[in-house]
Amino acid sequence: MGNHGYSMMIRIHGATARMTGFFIAVALLLSILSGTARSQPPGHRIGVNPAYPVPAGETPAGIEVNSSTLVENANLWNGRIVAFKGEAIGECMVRGKMAWLHLNDDAYMERNIEEGAVLGGYNGGHAVWVSAELAQKIRFFGDFKHEGDIARVTGAFNAACREHGGDMDIHASSLEIIRPGHPVRHAVNMQRGMITALLFVIAALLYGIRRIAVRRRI
Amino acid sequence: MIIRPRLSDFKVICLYTGKVIIGVGLLMLIPLATALCFGEWNPAIEFLIGIGACLVFGLGMEASCQTRRDLNWSHGLVVASFSWFVATALGAIPHWLSGHFGSYLDAMFDVMSGYTTTGMFLLQDLDHISHGLNMWRHILTYAGGQGIIVIALTFLFRGTAGAYKVYVGEGKDERLLPNVIQTARAIWLVSLIYLIVGSLALWIAGLWLGQGYVRGGLHAVWIFMAGWSTGGFAPQSYNTLYYHSLVYEMICAIIFIGGSFNFALHWAVWTGDKSEIRKNIEMISFFITVTLAMLIATAGLMALDVYPDTMALFRKMFYQVASGHTTTGFSTIYSRTFVRQWGPLAMLGVTLAMAIGASACSTGGGFKGIRMGIIFKALLQDVRRMISPESAWVTAKWHHITTRVLDDQTVRTAMLIVLSYIGIYTLGTLVGVYYGYDLVEALFDSVSAGSNTGLSCGVVSPSMPVPMKIVYIFEMWAGRLEFMSVFALMGYIVALLRGK
Repeated sequence: MGNHGYSMMIRIHGATARMTGFFIAVALLLSILSGTARSQPPGHRIGVNPAYPVPAGETPAGIEVNSSTLVENANLWNGRIVAFKGEAIGECMVRGKMAWLHLNDDAYMERNIEEGAVLGGYNGGHAVWVSAELAQKIRFFGDFKHEGDIARVTGAFNAACREHGGDMDIHASSLEIIRPGHPVRHAVNMQRGMITALLFVIAALLYGIRRIAVRRRI
Repeated sequence: MIIRPRLSDFKVICLYTGKVIIGVGLLMLIPLATALCFGEWNPAIEFLIGIGACLVFGLGMEASCQTRRDLNWSHGLVVASFSWFVATALGAIPHWLSGHFGSYLDAMFDVMSGYTTTGMFLLQDLDHISHGLNMWRHILTYAGGQGIIVIALTFLFRGTAGAYKVYVGEGKDERLLPNVIQTARAIWLVSLIYLIVGSLALWIAGLWLGQGYVRGGLHAVWIFMAGWSTGGFAPQSYNTLYYHSLVYEMICAIIFIGGSFNFALHWAVWTGDKSEIRKNIEMISFFITVTLAMLIATAGLMALDVYPDTMALFRKMFYQVASGHTTTGFSTIYSRTFVRQWGPLAMLGVTLAMAIGASACSTGGGFKGIRMGIIFKALLQDVRRMISPESAWVTAKWHHITTRVLDDQTVRTAMLIVLSYIGIYTLGTLVGVYYGYDLVEALFDSVSAGSNTGLSCGVVSPSMPVPMKIVYIFEMWAGRLEFMSVFALMGYIVALLRGK
C-alpha cells in the first residue's frame, strides 16, 4: 500500500471515528432526555385546558363538539364518537372508496367575508375521512366565489390517527347537509376603478417628466 | 464626528429605491393576470391600484432624483433596507383592499412575512380569498426568497458598478459569476427551472390525491413557491395537512430542503462539482444540527406518548423539524398541537432547529449552518490550542466552495451576526412574556419570526397586541436582511438628525 492509500485509510478511519463519537453522544443525550421524561407517567403532564369542555364517563356518544375543543383537549377526546358541524371548504379529495373533506366551524361558517361578514379571526375546522358516497352529498365547497354547504358528521375522533400517519381527524360514519351552500355575488367596485384611472394618469405624467429628467442628465 | 448625509446621497438612495419599487409594481402583473383569468374583477382592480401606487412612487423618485452618482457601500445597504420597507408598505395595498385584514398594520405584517419568507400571517378567512390574492401571497414569498433586489438587478439595473453593494445589502454575498447582474440572473434561472420541475411533480401528486386539474395546478405552483423559498404560506388554512398524503409531504420536504441550501452550492452542483455536497461546511453542519433537533423532538414525543406508532411519530416529527430547520414553516399539525400534544421538550427541539436555520445565501433564515460550522471549528481550534505546546501553531480549515484557513475576523463576523439573532429572539420573547404568554410559547413564536420560519404555536394571531406585531415585523425584517442593512438605515437616520 502506497503513502496515498495509507493516508486515505487514516482519513476514512478518522471520519468513521468522528461519526461514531457523534452518534454515541447523541444516543447518550437521547437516553438522558427520554429517561428523565419517562420517570413521570406518560400523558399526564399536559394538563386539561379548563376553558374547553372535557368528556366525562357519562358524556354520550355523538355529542356535538367544536374544533377548538378537540384541539385543546385532544388526548381526552381521542377515540370518542363525536358530532361535528361545519362549512365544507376547498374540495372533496376522493381516495378510492373513501374521501377527505374539510369542515370549518369558524366565524365564517354561516357567512364569509366576501359576503360581508365581520372579521372573526382565523379559520378553524377539522379534516373528515368519510365514504366517497356520503361525501358526494356536498354540492358547494367554500371559496372566493362560494359559501360552502354546512354539513354535520358523526364519527370517531382521532387525536393522532394510526391509519393516517398521525393526522388529527374524524372518521365519519354519517353525514347530513344542514344548510346548502350558494354562489357569492361580487358587485364591481366602481369607486376603486376611478382611483385606478387617476393613479395611472399621474403615473403617465411622471413617466413623461422622468424622460425629460433623464435626457437633461445625459 | 458624524457626517450628515447630503442631498446627493438622498438622490442616489431614492433613485435606486424607486427602481426596486417599480419592480414590485411589475410583479403585481402576475396576480392581476390570475385574477382576470378567473373573473375576479374586484381583486383585479385592487391589483391595478397597487400597481398604480408603485408606479407613482417609483417614477416619482426617478423623475425627482436623477443623478450621475453611483452607489457606495452605505448607499447600497440603505437602498436594500429602505426598499424592503417601502415595498412592504405599498405591497400591502391589495391585501388591505381585500377586506381580510383588521388593520393596515396586519396587511403589512403579512407582506413583510411574505417578502422575508417567514410564512406567519394575520389574514382572516384564508379559505375564502381569491386566486389573485393567493397568487400575490405566494409571488411575494417566491420573489422575496430570491430577493426583490435580485429581481430589480435582473430586469431593471443596467451595468451599474454599485449593483453589488445593493445585492450584499439584501443578505447575499455569493458571486456565482464574475458579474453581479449575471449572478442575479443565474439565481433566477436555477429557481425557474426548479419551479417547473417541482410544480409538475406536485401537480401530478395532487391529481392522484383527488384534486381537480385547475385547483391542483394552482396549489402545485403555490406550494412549490412557498416551499422552494422556504416561505411556508399555503393556499388553505390547514397548510400542508390539507393534502393528507405522505407522497405530497415527501415532495414538499425535498423542495424545501433543496431551497434551504446555498445558491453557491446549487451552482457548484449544476456546474458539475458534486463532491461539494459532502465537503461543504454547511451541509455537515446541517446534518449534525438537524439530527440533534430531531432527537430532542423525538425524546419529547416519546415521553408524552403522542403518536400511536413509530412511523406516525417519525413522519410528523421529521416534517415539522425539517420544516423548522430549513425555516420553511410548512406544517402537518395544528398550531396549538405543539402546545397541547407535543409539549415543551419537543417544542424546544423545533425551536432549536428554527434558531439555527438554513444556509447562507439561500432563501432561508436563522443563524445559518455556515456560522454554526465556523463557530464550532473556532471552539475546537481553541481547545486544541489549550492542550498543545505553547510553540505549536494550531490552524483550522473550513470548506465552502473553496477551502480556507479559519481566521479571527471570520469568527468575529459570524459571532456578531449570531449574537444579533439571539438579540432579536430575546426581544420578541420578552415582549411576548410581558403580554402574558407562556415562556416556551413566546420563545417559539419569537424565534420563528426572527429566523423567518413561520411555524406558530398560537401566539401569533390577529388579536395579539399591536406592539407585538411591530416587534415581529422588525424581527422578520432584520433577520432576513441579516442586520447590517437595517443598522445602516438606522445609522443614516441618526446621521440625519445629529450629523454636521
